[in-house]
Amino acid sequence: MATNNYFGFTHGGTQYSATATGAAYQAGQAGYAVAAPATAAAAAATYGTQRAAGYDTAYQAAAATQGTYAAVGTGATPAYEYGYGQTAAAGYTGGYDQTAAAAAAKPATYATTYTQRAAGQPQAQAAAAAAAAAKPAQYTGTYQANATGYQATYAQPAAQTTIAAQPTTQAKQANSTTTYSGYDAALYSAATMYVAQQGGAAQQKSGGWQGYKKGGIGAKNMRTKAPPKPQQLHYCDVCKISCAGPQTYREHLEGQKHKKREAATKMAASVAVTNQNRAGNSLRCQLCDVTCTGNDAYAAHIRGAKHQKVVLLHTKLGKPIPPQEPEIIGGPRKSVSSTPKINFVQSGGLGIPTGNGDSKDDEVDEQPEPDIQPVGQDYIEEIKSDDGKVISFNCKLCECRFNDPNAKEMHMKGRRHRLQYKKKVNPDLVVDVKPSLRQRKIQEEKMRRAALREEFWARRHYNMPEDEDDRMYWEDRRRYEEEYMEMCRRGNLGPYPRGRPPFPGGAPPYFQGGMPMARRTESSDDRHVMARHSEIYPKEEELQSIQRIVSHTERALKTVSDQLAESTKPKEGQAQQPPTPQQPVAAPAANAANATPAAAKPVEAPAVVPKPESENKSAEQQQQQPKEDGRDNQLFSFQQDRDANRILKGVMRVGHLAKGLLLRGDTNVELVVLCADKPTLALLRKVVDLLPPALKQVAPENTYTVTINAAEAGLTVVGDGLTVLVQLTSPIMREQEAASGGLDRDVLARGKCLQALAALRHTKWFQARALGLHSCVVIIRILRDLCQRVPTWSPLSSWAMELLAEKVISSVPGQVQLSPGDALRRVMEAVASGLLLPGGPGLGDPCEKDSPDAASGLSAQQREDLTCSAQYALRLIAYRQIYKVLGMEPLPTQQKVFRRDRSARKRRRSGGEQADSESDSGKMVKTEGTETTTETPVK
Amino acid sequence: MARGGIRGRGGMNRGIGRPPYKVKMFLPRHPFDLALCESSFPRVKPAPDETAFTQALLKRNVDLSPTASEQTAILNLVTKIQTVLDNLVVAPGAFDACQLEEVRQVGSFKKGTMVTGHNVADIVVILKTLPTREAVEALGNKVKEDLKSLMKSEVVTKGEQLTHTTNERGIEISNSFACVRVMVTTLHHNIRKLDPEIHLDQKIMLSHLAAIRHSRWFEENAHHSSIKVLIRLLRDIRTRFEGFEPLTPWMLDLLAHFAIMHNPSRQALPINVAFRRVFQLLSAGLFLPGSAGITDPCEGVSLRIHTAMTLEQQDICCLTAQTLLRVLSHGGYKHILGLEGNASIAKEMSVWDGVVVSPLDKAYENPPEKKDGEEEDEDMEAEGDESMETIEN
Repeated sequence: MATNNYFGFTHGGTQYSATATGAAYQAGQAGYAVAAPATAAAAAATYGTQRAAGYDTAYQAAAATQGTYAAVGTGATPAYEYGYGQTAAAGYTGGYDQTAAAAAAKPATYATTYTQRAAGQPQAQAAAAAAAAAKPAQYTGTYQANATGYQATYAQPAAQTTIAAQPTTQAKQANSTTTYSGYDAALYSAATMYVAQQGGAAQQKSGGWQGYKKGGIGAKNMRTKAPPKPQQLHYCDVCKISCAGPQTYREHLEGQKHKKREAATKMAASVAVTNQNRAGNSLRCQLCDVTCTGNDAYAAHIRGAKHQKVVLLHTKLGKPIPPQEPEIIGGPRKSVSSTPKINFVQSGGLGIPTGNGDSKDDEVDEQPEPDIQPVGQDYIEEIKSDDGKVISFNCKLCECRFNDPNAKEMHMKGRRHRLQYKKKVNPDLVVDVKPSLRQRKIQEEKMRRAALREEFWARRHYNMPEDEDDRMYWEDRRRYEEEYMEMCRRGNLGPYPRGRPPFPGGAPPYFQGGMPMARRTESSDDRHVMARHSEIYPKEEELQSIQRIVSHTERALKTVSDQLAESTKPKEGQAQQPPTPQQPVAAPAANAANATPAAAKPVEAPAVVPKPESENKSAEQQQQQPKEDGRDNQLFSFQQDRDANRILKGVMRVGHLAKGLLLRGDTNVELVVLCADKPTLALLRKVVDLLPPALKQVAPENTYTVTINAAEAGLTVVGDGLTVLVQLTSPIMREQEAASGGLDRDVLARGKCLQALAALRHTKWFQARALGLHSCVVIIRILRDLCQRVPTWSPLSSWAMELLAEKVISSVPGQVQLSPGDALRRVMEAVASGLLLPGGPGLGDPCEKDSPDAASGLSAQQREDLTCSAQYALRLIAYRQIYKVLGMEPLPTQQKVFRRDRSARKRRRSGGEQADSESDSGKMVKTEGTETTTETPVK
Repeated sequence: MARGGIRGRGGMNRGIGRPPYKVKMFLPRHPFDLALCESSFPRVKPAPDETAFTQALLKRNVDLSPTASEQTAILNLVTKIQTVLDNLVVAPGAFDACQLEEVRQVGSFKKGTMVTGHNVADIVVILKTLPTREAVEALGNKVKEDLKSLMKSEVVTKGEQLTHTTNERGIEISNSFACVRVMVTTLHHNIRKLDPEIHLDQKIMLSHLAAIRHSRWFEENAHHSSIKVLIRLLRDIRTRFEGFEPLTPWMLDLLAHFAIMHNPSRQALPINVAFRRVFQLLSAGLFLPGSAGITDPCEGVSLRIHTAMTLEQQDICCLTAQTLLRVLSHGGYKHILGLEGNASIAKEMSVWDGVVVSPLDKAYENPPEKKDGEEEDEDMEAEGDESMETIEN
């Protein structure tokens, strides 16, 4: 019994919506009685604990009934209940919450499903969950850890069971459906759908559920030893049909009919519009989702075999059958009217509520449409068989035949017939005018466009707070949610077998280009730019290894600084030897602080410890919360408790590293060490001596080589194929010439030191101006790549290019935010319009006094060539060849992708269809490989 | 590309079944325009001295302006014809082949942007009736007769002998000094009734109506003499550089007005700045696909004027301007104005002060496949708020 129990238990989750129903309430129904009763118990027990989560409020009505279910469940199968209790007692102890219970109910499936689904969850957890499937008892802890993660979806199927069970008692259903609005209803239908699918999957084992890639995966991994089900129903919720086997079901799902149908349901929003336009009223059979144009058509539908089949099927599945009343669409009267005089034979009488029929009779018999008198009776001749029985009718006006008297009636009321009548017999007859298909289409198109435009502007005027991507993410997320709700309201879950589909956006941060979000206004240029950008953007490993070496270097430098500070303290005089002796230590530093424009604030008194330029605030903050390295691209100050004697004040990342402009394959990064005094060769040597042991201390497992690079006024640290250039500089260098009047032999090259200082300023500027500018950093990376690839562009210095991009992008009139494609085009436009040509305004350098031209190094010929190249690039962009500018392969156009998708149709399109735009895709089906040749001659 | 969610997306799309929300929004963007964002690009060095350049521009303008005798000749002729036509409007008398609604002068003569050597004045006659070919013929004869009777008293020299011709646009009356084109059109509500078999071409009729709107707009908005000078210079350049051939006079009018008046201060820019700006704008792709270009102020729907050119023409126009801009910045204005050298600078390599200015290649490719080309063509010529995607799914 134990094993039996165990398996039943395991599968409880998978099937319990159906099985519980069968076991607890419909013992008479053979199809479901076989299901392991323990499941019922499990399910029931689950309900008990279930309510804790967010469903509590939503499911209050359900909760009210849950108690009963549980009772029934246990009552019916006490033995099993005991078995369950044992398991539970053994394994699920302590803080075992409802999530864990749900997990226990169906560990195997869930665990594997979540590996795929919850992409955000660490792999380890998923693995743990998988293990839990085998031995659920031991993994309570794990489950609890992820409680919130699982909760949402785990809770759902269990909760749904309640609803699924309900068609049996219509009163309850009415009760609960009123409480369960949209979302819950969807959950419910998801659950039923899921049941059907689980059945299919169980039989099929590893069948590729193409149609169900997302949800079905769980089913694939499910245990195959399901308790035998007498009837595997392959039910398609969209088309409301059942299929004989998994094979046919799959075929159906891929079939044209299903796809069409699916599309049609999804288009329901626009259909509503159509319906409004449609004169008169339509009745809709909610069960089959069929819209009928009139009472007669509706009645015919209800009588029809198709409807009956669906009713039968739903009854079998225990799915609720929506009230018989047609839903009136666009009718003048909104009240729900009963079906006029339809003798509807309920099939089986199994789960079909009787209350439905009763209430129908109570209602006033309203005619939802104005009664149209049939016309032209005289023109319909009866065709009789030899024995005088009427076998068919022939309408002479419309030249058509029917076998059914009902059809005849309907025909006589129909528009076509009336029009013919009007035309041929009585021109006074009023026939309501239906807008032609074309007109309607135009109308719809118009409305859609208007809506789109509105949305676009709304979004455009929407002042996004900071991060565009972030906002986009949430915007998408919100839309996705809305859309999902909308889908649920229609009670149609399409390909989502259960629960809600995972939000495809992944984790919030950084998914530029991650989704070709069609709803984002993303042009082909944007896609190309973003694709190229992700090509040149360094890989995660690269970034990490760069981060590592830089971090180690920084920490080692700090150690060196500490050591130097230690050594100078006792014998200050010696340490201060190298710098110009006529200046005391504090004075030049104060001088520098005074002089540097960036520092801009006069130092109060020379006694006060001079701070490294411009970073005063941040440095101070960091003193309070000491940081490990310069990861935040701000100054990493070595100072502690204001020690005036420290020579190496701090280190800061500069250049591409700090600006976030590193490209794939970049191996050189730069650091700048600020010194309290003029950096001398002696100091540099000392640092070079001290650094290797410090590095060893910081990172014992890495090997770094440190070499002196006096020409660059610094040293290099090489390791992992990466080179870190550490430059020594001091703010005093700016003042040096004026102050000392001469060059000190020992002092490092002044030009290099000044460059390092400028690099510091550039980094600051970049962080202040470019980082916040939409698309700017992306474009600068793209341009950096361009400068590296194209020799014409290489003379443009990195700094000038950054300035150019920032100025051009920020100068858009009206502060409109440009998409990446537009931003690149605008930069090209700027250069093409002669911005860099001689006689142009030049690029004022905001980081220097009197803002000299940052691009002054360019010769006239270089400027000419740059302009020429940009001019050509601009036209390439305008003529859809941006990929040539970016140096990449063209991306396939979006609609092509879409078409290929559609080409999965089984048959060729029939010739009757629109031949213009469709014909090519029809051809493509046949010769998928050589589509280019077949596509060519359309016109 | 990190497309984490692509599978999800695909599924979702399939699930929804509606095409993945076509991005129908096509917002043309105005290209980079230095004059509009000068604050971002403060001059880092003093602007070069441009007096010589300005002088050259003004001199060229004087050269291009029609001489006094030319003006007199054409004015004479226009006045006479205007008189005759006015009479027909007021008192048609026995003339019943067509009814005249209105007579208006249009075109470069009216605007004052005439270029010497091109002494053509345009008059548009709006008919109340439909412009059948016979009616136009009859009108031509009537004008001929009336002119004859009007000039009875004059001594007609040989050169002043009038010749009358009729064409698909209307009537042309010319002597050896001047030419007046009487362009026939009809009332706006009649346009739809035109039958290509018996009437004049509908497109031409519409263009004549548009000409009236253009001259009216010009009177109201572009009376600044800098604009007229610039237009004259541009018209001259257009005739000399074949890349600019597709630019219509109306485009040049609007372009000149834009270059001079469209700046933050709304004050007319100096002629040398405006002249350079024309080339800067064209080089920045003002008249390229995807650009907002200049919206026609005389059309109800927002119509970008450059869409009248084919894609290839837009490309060639742009690349000509781009090459000339570089020549201009290296001091080659005399060649551009036609004071020196020839038009080959737009197509051949030239050297200015040691700087080699090379011509550009076309970016436009003839669509290799018909199908793709169609798509692109439609896309790029998409007007107003047209979309990027054309095939409806």
